[in-house]
Amino acid sequence: MYLYLPVALTSVNILVPVGLGLVVGLLSGLFGVGGGFLMTPLLIMLGIPSTVAAATDSNQIVAASTSGTYAHWKLGNVDFKMGFYLLIGGFSGGLFGVQLIKVLKAMGNADFVIKITYVLMLGIVGGYMFFESLSAMKKKKKEEEETKPGKESGLVRFLKILPFQAHFEKSGVTHSILVPIIFGGFVGILAAIMGVGGGFLMVPVMIYILRMPMHVVVGTSLFQILFNCIEVTFLQAYTNHTVDFILAVLLLVGSTIGAQVGTVFGRKLKGDQLKILLAGIVLMVTVKMIFDLTLNPSLLLAQAGGH
Amino acid sequence: MKSTRVIFQKGMTAFLMILGCLALSQNQASAALTIKANHDHIKIDFFYHGSTVSVSGISDPGTDLIIKITAPEEHQSLREKGKVGGILWMNVETLNVEHVPSLYFLGSTRKIEDILSGEEMEKHLIGYPALQRHVTLSPVSGEDEKTKWFNEFVKFKEASKLYSVSSGDVALTEKDGRQSYYTLMKWPYQASPGTYTVTVYEVKDKKVIDKAESHVLVEQAGLIASLSGMSKNNAAAYGALSILAAVGAGFGVGLVFKKSGGAH
Repeated sequence: MYLYLPVALTSVNILVPVGLGLVVGLLSGLFGVGGGFLMTPLLIMLGIPSTVAAATDSNQIVAASTSGTYAHWKLGNVDFKMGFYLLIGGFSGGLFGVQLIKVLKAMGNADFVIKITYVLMLGIVGGYMFFESLSAMKKKKKEEEETKPGKESGLVRFLKILPFQAHFEKSGVTHSILVPIIFGGFVGILAAIMGVGGGFLMVPVMIYILRMPMHVVVGTSLFQILFNCIEVTFLQAYTNHTVDFILAVLLLVGSTIGAQVGTVFGRKLKGDQLKILLAGIVLMVTVKMIFDLTLNPSLLLAQAGGH
Repeated sequence: MKSTRVIFQKGMTAFLMILGCLALSQNQASAALTIKANHDHIKIDFFYHGSTVSVSGISDPGTDLIIKITAPEEHQSLREKGKVGGILWMNVETLNVEHVPSLYFLGSTRKIEDILSGEEMEKHLIGYPALQRHVTLSPVSGEDEKTKWFNEFVKFKEASKLYSVSSGDVALTEKDGRQSYYTLMKWPYQASPGTYTVTVYEVKDKKVIDKAESHVLVEQAGLIASLSGMSKNNAAAYGALSILAAVGAGFGVGLVFKKSGGAH
């Protein structure tokens, strides 16, 4: 059965967006990512204009992350205090990132910077997580202990001497409140440049820099993503008129259910298994982007608008 | 002086008679050619997935027919892909196309080049070469580059199902000394709301001897029209509605799963 989309001005088979939503929702519940880095390109491949794809995706993430945050909150996996500071940072970083894009566009090389940032960030994050969790899994087989304490880097020691130290009970860590604000801001800038929610960047920041336990990372990331995407959805609908309500409903039917199933599955997988899975998916997207950038395209023209 | 006046009057009478005959033959031709687009009011509703439009009518026996459907001319901006640093494909520039229809369909009884002269094709904007000469592309340097990007433009439009040129798809039947024509075409869901012009050209001896016009109106209806209107005219409420629906759906599914024992 086909439905017509009033803002995208195209018609889609109802099963395709529902199925896409289900898969991305599953990832969202499992890893605490919004899935924008996967969903937006897939929607564009379906013939949805890129601006509508990005805006509608953030609308859909609101539903998936509400569903996911609710499930994780019930499990006691959301560190609201940490989430709040990350939000402050992310929000300010996002505002700065949007201005940066304007400057780059005026200079005429925005597209190049966006694409390269995308490939580099995905590649670095995916690669690091993949090899780190692979070696952690190997080490665990040899001896259960002796993994974390010896790894404390100069960066971690530096973070400990910063002012405004606070204890985050839910995560069981002590940090200066500046740490989540600054790193949240950094992710906010990159997310604005790339036009994504930034979950796949925020999750590694929480794991490797804030040293939060994996199950709390997922719940807290979803909480943070929820508020980011509410803001983005409203701004896109208000200023660009690019949110397609019907498409969002079709996607969220799948993604809300997927997020719940993902949360249940996530409880059955170990932290390192989760990390290596996410790393694998991020690396696959990176490879696809590299192919897109280097192989000859079938059409040399594309619709204007979007990144 | 009088004889000159008589000669002048006779001349004028002959001239008017010739003019009358010409007008009569012209009238006969236009009276013969008719056009009707069936399903000429397409409503885009909730389950819309394109439509079909049939064009039919009567024409003079022994003539060929060309049917053209076009949208009003407009300006279009598209992104050009090009190689950066010799290896990376990226959007490098914006291609501006002026005086171009967003939709262009051409169908005919036989191959157009065999039944119509180049001059006539140009005059009536029939075929891609005529369209290429009519539109303005920028930025392009020289004819070769214009041809390259116009061909890319057609490829892009054909991939979106908005441009099509075909031949042999207009069927002719002759009965009682009258020739009727008929063609059925798929109307793509990608075509946006608007008024489209359907023109039938009657062709003989490589020339257009008559033409007739009809219209196809495409408009949004019901829920689609309401949502589309709200997204533009009441954007804040539309944004709030989208967010509330998403949060509501998220909580709703969460509660259902909680009850079914999915999460705690």
